[in-house]
Amino acid sequence: MDLGNFESLRFFYPETILTGTILLLVVLDLVLRSKKSLGYIAIVGCLISLWATLELYGTLGGWLFHRMVILDNFSLFFKVLSLLAALLVIWMSLDCLEIQGVHKGEYYTLLLTSALGMFFMASSSNLLMAYLSLELVSLTSYILTGSLPHNRRSSEAALKYLIYGGVASGAMIYGMSWVFGMTGSLDYARISEALLQGEVNRLGLFMAFVFILAGFGYKIVFVPFHMWSPDVYQGAPTPITAFLSVASNASGVAIMIRFFFPAISRLGEGGNWSYIPGVEWPHFLLFVSMVTMTLGNLCALNQQNVKRMLAYSGIAHAGYLLMGLVVLNNDGLRAMLFYVAVYLIMNLGAFLVVVIVANATGREDVEGYRGLAWRGAAIPAVCMAIFLFSLTGLPPFAGFVGKFFLFAAVIEAGGMFVLLAVVAILNSVISLYYYARIVKTMFLDFPQPDDPKVEMTVNSSALLGFLSCLTVLLGIYWGPLASYAGQSLRFFVR
Amino acid sequence: MEFATVIFYLIAAVTIGSAAMVAFSRNIIYSAFSLLGTFAGVAAIYVFLGADFVAAVQVLIYVGGILVLILFAVMLTHRIADVQITNRAVGRIPALVVVGVFLSLLVQIIRETPWQKAKEIVYAPTTSRIGDLFLENYLLPFELASLVLLAALIGAAVLSRKELKE
Repeated sequence: MDLGNFESLRFFYPETILTGTILLLVVLDLVLRSKKSLGYIAIVGCLISLWATLELYGTLGGWLFHRMVILDNFSLFFKVLSLLAALLVIWMSLDCLEIQGVHKGEYYTLLLTSALGMFFMASSSNLLMAYLSLELVSLTSYILTGSLPHNRRSSEAALKYLIYGGVASGAMIYGMSWVFGMTGSLDYARISEALLQGEVNRLGLFMAFVFILAGFGYKIVFVPFHMWSPDVYQGAPTPITAFLSVASNASGVAIMIRFFFPAISRLGEGGNWSYIPGVEWPHFLLFVSMVTMTLGNLCALNQQNVKRMLAYSGIAHAGYLLMGLVVLNNDGLRAMLFYVAVYLIMNLGAFLVVVIVANATGREDVEGYRGLAWRGAAIPAVCMAIFLFSLTGLPPFAGFVGKFFLFAAVIEAGGMFVLLAVVAILNSVISLYYYARIVKTMFLDFPQPDDPKVEMTVNSSALLGFLSCLTVLLGIYWGPLASYAGQSLRFFVR
Repeated sequence: MEFATVIFYLIAAVTIGSAAMVAFSRNIIYSAFSLLGTFAGVAAIYVFLGADFVAAVQVLIYVGGILVLILFAVMLTHRIADVQITNRAVGRIPALVVVGVFLSLLVQIIRETPWQKAKEIVYAPTTSRIGDLFLENYLLPFELASLVLLAALIGAAVLSRKELKE
């Protein structure tokens, strides 16, 4: 299918509904007295959009709006993920005391706008759209990061994020201009034709890809584009940190797979992809993956602030994710999609416990978790332990299955990828130390007399129960999600 | 050398020279004023490419709007004449080596690459064609760009508002 503007609208309901909700929120914010209801309206908007997205399964894939975006199972998978992330983060924000002083109307509007940008990041099939959608997501993220009023740390984080983001997207668009100059087109399908058939300057193309990776890598947070993440994660309001760590990361993975697989590689027999001969980006990423996971884990060891520790753990997880990419086959990509979904659930859960503890004590450092289980918060402490062990990759939790798929794909590929698997396993062992340190503080240390009791609201206990049940459930019964991830690997090429 | 080529290199030199001033000047007001040369030079390069509309927009938006805004922001900032506010260069020599190697690599690649060139250069008005494309093939990016601007507007309001008191 190659549809024009009006015919495309039929397949564009999820985006239209989300845009409508955004505009509705802007208007209602002016009219309504009680701002509490805005959150519920945003949730309803997300749910309707989610329903419309699920309705699109089974339709034929194709280009929409004169080949600007692609409708296929791959884009639908990431649309569902970003909607779920937005939904859960809004749910998390309802009872978060940290964002009490933030204007809720704008907050939810920007959150949904960011989710909309992620829709386009997953589906764009044109470099122009890819750039614009990435900018939309970045811009809303900067503002949300700095949305805590009169908070020095939050403003500083936003400024750092903006400056690093500006440099990264500048490098990316420069690389894109090189690709345009070599192929004469912005359209992925035409780029693919020109690169796979014609003669190319290999070194030039490699440099262009490295420039483009600066933009994508800044969203996924791999080395050397990771410097912003610890400060931003620490300074941003916790629900926003959670959103950035899962949704921004997932959409970065989406835009990267879309560009590096269907656009510039060729699918061969048995789900193996082959790259343009002589342009060795997979080897570059193999190296980046090893450095990223090692650096993330080593820096996380000594962190005293839980949000900062989770930031470094996020860098390490970006490294694990890249393992699925460098093996260049569909097994690896499927493992990546599975891991992105699982990571969304367990990481949001961990940040939710951070919100609950911060609500009661106003603290985010590890000391604030001292004897949490004995301060009336046995349930959050147990759930936190589940999420952290799942992040480490211990059975029987979802993180174990995710890591198992990634390691299996890497070991099956053999050769020098075995080295990558060894590095990754060593890293998992290192990560056990800092995750278990928090578990130890929560259960084995005794609280001081002046440590306040920790209580939960109905909303957050419901969300906590939901996320921890999912983490355990997906660790035991992962079949449906794994086959869903497998089905989502159908790319529309032409 | 042709007359047009000489003019082109002159414009390129002005553009790069004032960009260097922006980066290296110790006084932030000089940096802000040097942007004028960069913006105007880029507009002149658009003229050379036959992109009349983009050149006009460049002058209107960047020279007329953004530059004035930046100058206002700079002038209204407290203690602006202090040298401490501008960033000092640290580790000049290693940076120079890295930049030099990188630059020569890029120049080498740009010289070797077979770029796709336009087959013939037509100097004709582009405005109406751009307008048509915005409402046909490029409708979605056009609308997405307006959404980006809306988000930026709301963001500016968010960042400048006072704390909420309930």
